[in-house]
Amino acid sequence: MLTLLQTTLNGLVVGGIFSLAAVGFSLIFGVMGIVNLTHGVFVIAGAYFALVMWRELGVDPLLAVLPIGVVLFAFGYVYQRTIIHWAVSRSSLVASLLVTFGVAMILRNVLQLVFSPDVRTITPPYSFVSLSFGALQIDLVRVVGLAASLVLLSLFALLLARTSFGRAIRATAQQPLASQLAGINVRHVYALTFGLGAAFAGASGTIIGIVQPFSPASEVAWTLNAFVVVVLGGIGSPAGALLGGILLGLINTFTAQYIGPAMTNAMMFLVLVLMLLVRPQGLLGNAFGETR
Amino acid sequence: MKHWLLLLLVLILIIGGYFLPHWLSPFHVRVVQFFFFAAALAAAWNILGGFSGYWSFGHTAFIGIGAFAAAHFSMRIGMFGVQPFSIVVPIIIGGLVSAIIAAIIAYPILRLRGIYFAIAMLGVGQVFAELSNNIRWFQGGIGLFVTAPMPPGVPPERFYYYVFGILLAITFATSVAVRYSRLGAGLIAIREDEDTAGMLGVPAERYKIAAFVISAALVGMLGAAYAFSVGYFTTSTVFRIDFSLNMIVYSLIGGLGTLFGPVIGAAIMLFVTQVLLSHLLEVHLLITGLIVVTIVLVIPKGILGTLSDAMRRRRSVYLQKAQPAGETR
Repeated sequence: MLTLLQTTLNGLVVGGIFSLAAVGFSLIFGVMGIVNLTHGVFVIAGAYFALVMWRELGVDPLLAVLPIGVVLFAFGYVYQRTIIHWAVSRSSLVASLLVTFGVAMILRNVLQLVFSPDVRTITPPYSFVSLSFGALQIDLVRVVGLAASLVLLSLFALLLARTSFGRAIRATAQQPLASQLAGINVRHVYALTFGLGAAFAGASGTIIGIVQPFSPASEVAWTLNAFVVVVLGGIGSPAGALLGGILLGLINTFTAQYIGPAMTNAMMFLVLVLMLLVRPQGLLGNAFGETR
Repeated sequence: MKHWLLLLLVLILIIGGYFLPHWLSPFHVRVVQFFFFAAALAAAWNILGGFSGYWSFGHTAFIGIGAFAAAHFSMRIGMFGVQPFSIVVPIIIGGLVSAIIAAIIAYPILRLRGIYFAIAMLGVGQVFAELSNNIRWFQGGIGLFVTAPMPPGVPPERFYYYVFGILLAITFATSVAVRYSRLGAGLIAIREDEDTAGMLGVPAERYKIAAFVISAALVGMLGAAYAFSVGYFTTSTVFRIDFSLNMIVYSLIGGLGTLFGPVIGAAIMLFVTQVLLSHLLEVHLLITGLIVVTIVLVIPKGILGTLSDAMRRRRSVYLQKAQPAGETR
């Protein structure tokens, strides 16, 4: 019984972080229909930025979330305006899959050259404290990571639901042509959306950096995680990302606990394939736009 | 007349291919051998991805399945036949097992389209990799030794040069046969518009499954031969994301859905990465990425696709001159 509760708790905590790591991917996929395979590199780049700021300037990773978000936002904006836009307008949406994969390889190689391929961790002073509720135990960093993820996710949801910028994004996702007629600069909104997605990926990276070890090669895992989260929860909505992330977290921890730690990826992909076959629109369905 | 020329060309290729390793250094024989392997993989991928438009991002699954099937077969049951030819049965077994597994997963997975099919196949590759790694009986974690009986007096690189050369010929011939059959026409109709093709009477479901199984069988045979050529392999030797990716990139560079495209693409990419940049291992990934991005942005149809477009444009210019009032686009 205790193991079951502990596993569930761990799953929920990991799941919250998965949700945050996937929400940017989900937004870009939902609004533009682009599967951004550079997503994992954005996440890992966020973690490396946080590492540098922590090592060189002594900035706490949680405070680094904002500047890192800004840097990645700028990068994402320019990236969409140039390479992604060229690829989509010259060939097809599937080609964007290949272009983002190519860029991911380039950036991963750059990260390897700059930071070496070794596995790194960020260890702020609170990283060895753990909390206990009765017999249940949990590391403080994980709680902090979960809390930060939930705050950022709520901010993201508010941004989409309440601001005029969020409304413009939702309108563009549903009807690009109609929103253009209504006076929205669609190309600008696309680029802003991409920037926002990249910013949230980077922000999640800083939190992942304090919770888990990372290396340039772990970007693939974060891209795939994001995809699985989106398939589980549904495209384009923060609520879907939260649900999908928590489900993925539970699947991972329960598989590791009861089947074997080496089987988590196999189980994850089994669920992915089954889910795509049974309910391709995700558990919460599509938040905006019709099914592509 | 034309048939005679073709036959002559094939004959020259066979004789040239047979004598080539006698003139090259062992290193270059190895490079050409690797080219045969890569080109055959891309051509096999192209039967599904190029003709029918179903891009698999996890074809390395079939390399792994073929390798494991052949290794376990030769380890547990034994080799059959006379010395140099005893490698044939395990290779066929590799292809067969691969085809059977492909046939089992084909129906559910081919109901997905586009990006979803691509990622689901990525997942399939991952699942088979982990199963082979974690189920002890498969020995993917500790590795498997496979030794093919070599004909005496022939160095190994030359032997595998011939093995992969023959496999490339088989793959290429299969892809020609598929392209000019009913199946090939149906697959291209599916690529252009699956729903319309179905309405016009193309049995889309059956054709897609057929292409998937043929492609998997060929890749499985190549995987089996690859296992023999490396001698010792683990899960991570045969289930590799970069194998999956390379098949796509080679086909894309040469021209998706063309017959010679994957072969030309493999030749170009291998020349760039293995010969020109062989001592720049640190930036391999970067350069491959740059090439992929450049190709998609500059010539999205690949080399052959762009050439044939250019030729068609020239021809249509002549047509316009010939009949100025005609309906030309």
